[in-house]
Amino acid sequence: DEKEGKETAQQWEDDWDDDDVNDDFSLQLKKELENNTEKS
Amino acid sequence: IETARIFDFEEFPVRDKVTYMYYTGRLEVFNENFSAADHKLSYALTHCNPHSEANIRMILKYLIPVKLSVGILPKNSLLEKYNLVEYSNVVQALKRGDLRLLRHALQEHEDGFLRSGVYLVLEKLELQVYQRLVKKIYIIQKQKDPSKAHQIKLEVIVKALKWLEMDMDVDEVECIMSILIYKNLVKGYFAHKSKVVVLSKQDPFPKLNGQN
Repeated sequence: DEKEGKETAQQWEDDWDDDDVNDDFSLQLKKELENNTEKS
Repeated sequence: IETARIFDFEEFPVRDKVTYMYYTGRLEVFNENFSAADHKLSYALTHCNPHSEANIRMILKYLIPVKLSVGILPKNSLLEKYNLVEYSNVVQALKRGDLRLLRHALQEHEDGFLRSGVYLVLEKLELQVYQRLVKKIYIIQKQKDPSKAHQIKLEVIVKALKWLEMDMDVDEVECIMSILIYKNLVKGYFAHKSKVVVLSKQDPFPKLNGQN
C-alpha cells in the first residue's frame, strides 16, 4: 500500500522545460515568424 | 487548574491527519501559499488509503494546480488514471507556450474549475505560458542567428500573439514583458526607443523556485 502511494507521488515532471523546438507548435511558430520577417 | 494540553500532530490517527492536511491544504491554495499547500496536500496524498481512488482524485484536484503554479507538471498517466483529463490541455499549453490553448482549456472547463475554486490559480498560469512562448521565440532566433538572438523585437512577439489569436499592440506587449521581468520570469531590459527586449545572456528564463 505504501508503495502505491509513493508511486502516485512520483508521477510528476519538474524537468520538462527543454530547448526542443521540433514539435508541431514550435515549427508552426517558426514558419509564422519567418513569413513575417520577409514582409518587413 | 489544569492547563490545556498541547496536542502533538503525530499523536492522531493517520486518517485524521490526512483529513486535516487535505482541508488545511485547500485553505492554503485559496490563500495562494503554494509551498504550504504543496506540503500539506502532498502529505495527504502519500498517507491516504492508496485504494481509495475517489480520495486521491479529490486531493489531486487541488494539488495539480499548486504544482503547476510552481512549475511542476503531472504526467499524463496520472491525469488519465484519476480521470483528471480536464488538466491535460492546461499542461500541454504550458509545455508549448500556447496561450490560445490555455484560454480554450479554461473556457471549456470553466464551470468545474470555478466550482472547485481553482480557476483563479489556473488563470495565473498565463504568465508562465508567456514565458515559455518568449523562450521559444528566443530559441528559434538563436538557430537562425545566435549573435542577435538575445534581442527580441516587441513586434515579433506581437506577431506570434496575433497568430495565437491575441490582438495586442506593441505597448501592450511591452507591458506584459515588463511584468515577466518584474516577476523574474525573464531576465533582461528594454531598449524602449527601438522597441526591443534585450535578454540577459545568462539564464534569461529563470526557473520558478516555488516561492510564488
